[in-house]
Amino acid sequence: MKRPPAPDRLSTLVGIVLLAVMLFPVYWMVNASLQPAGNLLRAGWFPRHPDFGGYATALHDQGRNLVTSLVVALGSVVLSLALAAPAAYALAQFRLRGTRLMLFGVLVTQMVPGIVVANALYGAYTDLGLLNSRLGLVLADSTAGVPFSILLLHAFLRGVPREIVEAARVDGAGRLRVLWSVVLPVSRNALITAGLFTFLFSWSDFLFAVTLNTTDTVRPVTVGIYEYIGAHTNQWNALMATAVLASLPASVLLVLAQRHVTAGVTGGAVR
Amino acid sequence: MRRAGSLRRPRLPERVTRWLFLLPALAYLLLFFGYPLVENVVMSFRQYSASTFYTGEAPFAGLRNYAEVLPSDLFREAVLTTVLFTVGSLVGQFVIGLALALFFQRRFPLNGVLRSLLLLPWLLPLVVSGTTWRWMLDTDTGVVDRALRDLHVVSSGVPWLTGTSEALVSVILVNIWVGIPFNTAILYGGLQAVPAHLYEAAKLDGAGPVASFRHVTWPLLRPVAGVVLVLGVVYTVKVLDIILVVTGGGPADATQTLATRSYALSFQQFDFGRGAALGNVLILLSLVLALVHLRAGRRALDSRGVVR
Amino acid sequence: MRSAAISARRRFTALAGTVALALTAAGCGGGTGSASADGKVTSITALDYYTDTAEHAQWGARLTACGKRAGVTVEHRSVPGASLVPQVLRQASSRTLPDLLMLDNPDLQQIAQTGALTPLDAYGVDAGGYAEGIRSAGTYRGKVYGLAPTVSTVALFYNKDMLAEAGVAVPRTWAELKKAAAELTRPGRYGMAVDANATFEGTWQFLPFLWSNGGDETRLDAPQAAQALQLWVDLVRSGSMSQSVLNWTQADVHDQFVAGRTAMMVNGPWRISELDKAATLHWGVAPLPVREAGQTVVTPLGGEVWTVPQNSSKARQKKAAQVLACLNDSRSMLALARQYHTVPSRTAVASRYAREVPSMAAFVRSVERARARTGRLGVKWPRAATGIYTAVQAALTGEQTPREALRHAQRIATGS
Repeated sequence: MKRPPAPDRLSTLVGIVLLAVMLFPVYWMVNASLQPAGNLLRAGWFPRHPDFGGYATALHDQGRNLVTSLVVALGSVVLSLALAAPAAYALAQFRLRGTRLMLFGVLVTQMVPGIVVANALYGAYTDLGLLNSRLGLVLADSTAGVPFSILLLHAFLRGVPREIVEAARVDGAGRLRVLWSVVLPVSRNALITAGLFTFLFSWSDFLFAVTLNTTDTVRPVTVGIYEYIGAHTNQWNALMATAVLASLPASVLLVLAQRHVTAGVTGGAVR
Repeated sequence: MRRAGSLRRPRLPERVTRWLFLLPALAYLLLFFGYPLVENVVMSFRQYSASTFYTGEAPFAGLRNYAEVLPSDLFREAVLTTVLFTVGSLVGQFVIGLALALFFQRRFPLNGVLRSLLLLPWLLPLVVSGTTWRWMLDTDTGVVDRALRDLHVVSSGVPWLTGTSEALVSVILVNIWVGIPFNTAILYGGLQAVPAHLYEAAKLDGAGPVASFRHVTWPLLRPVAGVVLVLGVVYTVKVLDIILVVTGGGPADATQTLATRSYALSFQQFDFGRGAALGNVLILLSLVLALVHLRAGRRALDSRGVVR
Repeated sequence: MRSAAISARRRFTALAGTVALALTAAGCGGGTGSASADGKVTSITALDYYTDTAEHAQWGARLTACGKRAGVTVEHRSVPGASLVPQVLRQASSRTLPDLLMLDNPDLQQIAQTGALTPLDAYGVDAGGYAEGIRSAGTYRGKVYGLAPTVSTVALFYNKDMLAEAGVAVPRTWAELKKAAAELTRPGRYGMAVDANATFEGTWQFLPFLWSNGGDETRLDAPQAAQALQLWVDLVRSGSMSQSVLNWTQADVHDQFVAGRTAMMVNGPWRISELDKAATLHWGVAPLPVREAGQTVVTPLGGEVWTVPQNSSKARQKKAAQVLACLNDSRSMLALARQYHTVPSRTAVASRYAREVPSMAAFVRSVERARARTGRLGVKWPRAATGIYTAVQAALTGEQTPREALRHAQRIATGS
C-alpha cells in the first residue's frame, strides 16, 4: 500500500447530488403528504406549514388495509421460508439426482408472468373459496418469495462445509434435526435476507391483491392506493400520506438492515 | 448405540426422507407455476364471458380466441409497445446503472451509505412509485412540467400522460427510475470483482480511462452484464403495475402491453379465454428470450454465490 | 353442460390436496356473514360508486335511515365508477355480490343478462308511475330489475365572473362555444373542460354532442358523429381545452372548475350542492350548445338504479328489497332530488317537485326529453360505448382523424 489518498470530497458531493436527483420523487411524495387537504392542484416546493391531516385521513381510511398488508406479508415470509429452507438444504447438501434441473426450473419460474398465474388462480380460487381470504393471498404472494428464497438459500448453503453437517449426522442427529439445530443457525443471515425480501415482495404486491379480491374484506394497501386514484381527487394529501406509510417498511429495512438488503439485491435479483 | 442404529437404517427410506425435504416446495411450485401454465393453455381454447363463472359454462372454442386476437391491430400495437417498453427500459437502466456503478468505484466518504440509499426506488411498492410519478407528470399541475417551464426548457407543458408517444416515454422513464438501483448494485458487484492489478497494468501500458474500460473492465464485466440484461428482459416484459397506475394503458391505448391487455381482457371484460391466449403469447415471447436466458442461466446461478 | 372450465380446476384442487393438509391449519377465511344464528337478518351490504367524500356520507346516512325502517344496519361501500362493473362481474363469479347494488342505468341490462340480478316483482316492490326512459333502462326482457330514485342529465356550467371579465356571452352554438372558450383561456386556465376519459363516463359526456347533432350510436361512422368529435378536437387543438381531459373523470373536471382552472365545463346537476359550497365561485348553468341554432339539445338520461342481486339468502334479499323500496318512495325521491338537484323519476312526483322548486323546472323538462343509452341497442350498448370512448381518445391524441376514429368505433360497436 502506498500513501493513503486524501478523501475525495468532490466525489461525495457529486454522489449526494446524484442521490438527491434519484430520490426526488420520494421527497415529493413526502412533501405532498404534508400539504393541507382540499384542492391540491399546486403544491409548494416545501411544506412550509406541515399539515398532518392527510395522515389522519390515511390512517382512518387505510389503517385496516395496512394491517392486512402486514399480516399477508408476514404470512408469506413464514410460508416461503418454511418451504424454501428445507428445499434449499436438500438441493445444496444431498447430491440428489436432478438438482441442476430443479434449480433451473426454479429459475424458469421467474419468467412466468404474474398475469398468467392470476388468470388461472382466479378460477381455482373461486371454486376453492380462497378468493377474499388472507390465506389465498399469502399463497399467491409467495410466488415471489419461494423461488427467490430457494435460490438465495441454496447459494448460501452450498458454501456451508459439508463436514459440519456430517459431524452432526455422525452424532446421530436426524436430517430434520440437523436442519433445525445446525444448518438454520449458521444460515441466519441468509434467512434474514430471504425473509426480508419476501416481506417486501408481498407488501408491494398489487396484481394478486387486485385480481384475487372481490370485496373489501382483504384489501392490501396497494389496492387501497389504487382505488384512491380517480375516487378522491381532492385528497391528494391523504393519497400521498398513504403512499408514504406504504413506503415505510422498505425505508426502515433499508436503514436498519442495510447489509441484508445489499446482499439480497446482488444475491437474488428477483422482480 | 444410536449411532449404530442410524447406520443400520435401510437405504430406501433414507432416499425418501431426502426427497421429503424437497417435496413441499416442489408441490408449491407445481401448483402455483406449473398449474397456471397448463391451465392457461386450456383456458385459451374456451370461450368465457361475463356470465361464465356464474353459470359455469365455458364452451370449447377451438382456436377462435387466437384467431380473433392475433390478427387485430390492438395485438400488433401491444407487441410493439411491449418491445419498445422493454428495450427502452433496459437500455436506460443499464446505461445509467453502469455509469453510476463506475462512479461508485471511486473511493470517497459516504460511498457505502449513498449506494445503499440509492436502492430505495427499487424497494418501494410499484404502486407507490407509480402514483407519485403520475402526479408529478401531470401536464398542468405536475412538478416536472413546472420545473421545465421555470427553466425555460419548454414553453408549454409536455403532455407526459396525454400524448401517445409521450405517455410511452413516461412509463419507460418511470420503469428506468425503478430499475436503475438494481442495475447499479449488480454491476457494481461485477466491477468490484475485477482485479485491481489489471487496471494498474493497463495504466502502465499508457491506457487512458476509456481504453482501460474497453480493454479491461468491459471484457471482465460482460458475464455480469449479460445476467443483468437477461434478468431485466424477463422482468420487464411482464411489468403491469407501473403501467396500470401511471397511464392505465392510455391514452388511446398507447401504453397497452401484452400484460396489460391480458389483464384488461380477463379481469375487466371477463373474457378469460382471450386473456389467457394473450398470456400465452407473452410466455412465448419470454421463452424466445429464455433461449438467451438458458445460456446465461448458469452464470446467473453462479453469480448468486455472492451472498454472505 | 357444467363445463370443463370447472373440471379443469379439479386438477388444481387435486394437486392442492397435497399442500392443503399442511396449510389448512393456518387457514383463515374472509367471511362476512351477518345473519345471526336464528336466521334473522341484522345487517345487509350495499355497493355503489358514490366515492366522493360528501356524497358517500350522505348516501350512507340515507341507506342507514332506510335500513332502520327495514330493521337492518347497512354496511355501505363505494368503489370508483369505472371499476364498479368489473367489480360486480367478479363478485358475481365468486358469489360475493352485495345484498343491495347500485348500477349506472345503462349497465343494468348487461348485468341482468348474466343472471346476477333478481326481478323486483318477486318482492312486491312498486314499480309503477316511472318515467318511460328510466323504466325501460331498468327493465330486461320484460322484467324490472332496477329502480332509480332520481334521474338527471348533463349541462354546461360556467363561471359568471370569468365570462363577465372576458365579455363573453353564454355560448349557444358550437361556433360560439369555440370562440368563447378561446377568449376565456388564460395562462393557468382553460376555457372549457369535459371528461374524455377512456371509460363509459367519457362516452356519456360525448353523447349530447353526438345526439344533438343528429348522430346515433347505431351509425357512428356517419358525418354527424364526425362533426361532433371534430368540435372536441378543435377545442383541444386550439388550446382552449387541456389535453388532460383524456385522463379526467367528471369529478376531476368539477375540481378544475372549482379551482378556477377552467371557465366552463360539462357536468351534471348533482354537483350543484358542492359548487354552492365554494363561496367565491359564481357559477351559472345553461343547456349544452348545439352545432346550429335551431337544433334541439338531446342529452343522455342519467341516473343510478338500485338492484337486488342473486344471493344465497332469501331473507337478506327480502330485506334489501325493503331498503330499495324505501329509497324509491316519494319521500326519498324528493329528498334526494333536493339534495343533488336531480329529478324524481316518478312523473307525478316530478311535477310536484317542479312546482315546489321552480329553479329545477328547466331540468325537469330537459330530463323528460333525455334519451336512455340502452334505448336503441339494449345489451349491445356497452360495445358501442366502448367504440365511442376509443374514438374520442384516438381523435384527441391525434392518432386518427375523427372520421377514421369513428369508422373504427363503428366496427367495435358492431363487433366486426
